[in-house]
Amino acid sequence: MANLLWLQGGACSGNTMSFLNAEEPSACDLVTDFGINILWHPSLGMELGDNLQRLLRACVSGEIPLDIFVFEGTVVRGPDGTGAWNRFAGRPMKDWVAELAQAAQYVVAIGDCATWGGIPATAPNPTDSTGLQFLKRQKGGFLGADFRSKAGLPVINIPGCPAHPDWVTQILVAVATGRAADIRLDDFQRPKTFFASFTQTGCTRNMHFAYKVSATEFGQRKGCLFYDLGCRGPMTHSPCNRILWNRQSSKTRSGMPCLGCTEPEFPFFDLAPGTVFKTQTVMGVPKDLPEGVDKTGYIKLTVAAKAAAPKWAEEDIFVV
Amino acid sequence: MSDRPPRDPDALRRYIAELLASGLETETEPMPRTEREFAEILDQLRALDPEDVRGRLVIAGFLDHPYGPEQQRCQECIYYLVHRRWCDIPEISLPCEPDWWCRLWRI
Repeated sequence: MANLLWLQGGACSGNTMSFLNAEEPSACDLVTDFGINILWHPSLGMELGDNLQRLLRACVSGEIPLDIFVFEGTVVRGPDGTGAWNRFAGRPMKDWVAELAQAAQYVVAIGDCATWGGIPATAPNPTDSTGLQFLKRQKGGFLGADFRSKAGLPVINIPGCPAHPDWVTQILVAVATGRAADIRLDDFQRPKTFFASFTQTGCTRNMHFAYKVSATEFGQRKGCLFYDLGCRGPMTHSPCNRILWNRQSSKTRSGMPCLGCTEPEFPFFDLAPGTVFKTQTVMGVPKDLPEGVDKTGYIKLTVAAKAAAPKWAEEDIFVV
Repeated sequence: MSDRPPRDPDALRRYIAELLASGLETETEPMPRTEREFAEILDQLRALDPEDVRGRLVIAGFLDHPYGPEQQRCQECIYYLVHRRWCDIPEISLPCEPDWWCRLWRI
């Protein structure tokens, strides 16, 4: 039996909603099949007031062994470092986070806000929000760059806005069943099993990417969303087109550009007007090229691809 | 030349080619430096009468030859459909030739 505690800081509850919709395994499977004991969760926990405070204190003291501490949302440090803008169970949430992270065998950050600050930490970051071990791309965050949980691991980051439900439950199962050592993390402490490939990997629009045919409007079934509509699929690490959403589709498959929400910089360009859903260019060349591709190579590839493009690439081939 | 553009794509392409060859002055500069400037050009195009082909050519800055030191042209532009010989930007949506160019060019 592994005790799991889930708290929310500066959050919209999106990751909780995602978690509760998990299918493989489901949130119920965690309890019935994988021996996870959910001590408390914002949407599932029964304790309130004094009872909740007692539970949290027991976790901090070790009276109740805390195996997995899951945090969703930013750590709010404002105003003036007091954390008073996000109080929970009688004190600033940041104080609970600091103590619970030290008490836990494993700490798991769910969603962009908990991993690197997400939208709340976007400039000017009025709540002085940060992620658990990163603030955007900078390592450190609330717990510090050298933080290790009792089991010796840094915070396991599962980013996304929200994180896919199965990324969450599959990692929780791995940790709860003693396979945490098998989880290999990348430089941003994301499990490589999910975040080594790109959003573009498995995208149904790859043929349009290859032949440089652009989608020009949302929802179009023809064309790639990278060239005009700001899709970040070629630069974003996620399995969104390998592990489909609702087992059905993905943003890019349905004609919605990838926003790059699993990367530390999300939301990009501080949401400045004209930067969302629009590919940023310099003299007609995209500012952000597919990872590992330089400008010269990109232009050469485009020239060759346009010259070689077959007629069907210009048509809607997904006939209903 | 009639003021009312033809509807047939090939006839329309010839109509546009004649307009450009006859020295139609178009707004090739300034090239949009930012996405906001790009969007402002699109806004101007949206404000036109859908039949106003000449207006679209002027605002988009069409030329009937490659442009700039890198000799940019429709053929390499991501909005250009090679087989249809067509500009697929909804605000332009006109037949083009591969060696033409406009200031909404992007690769």
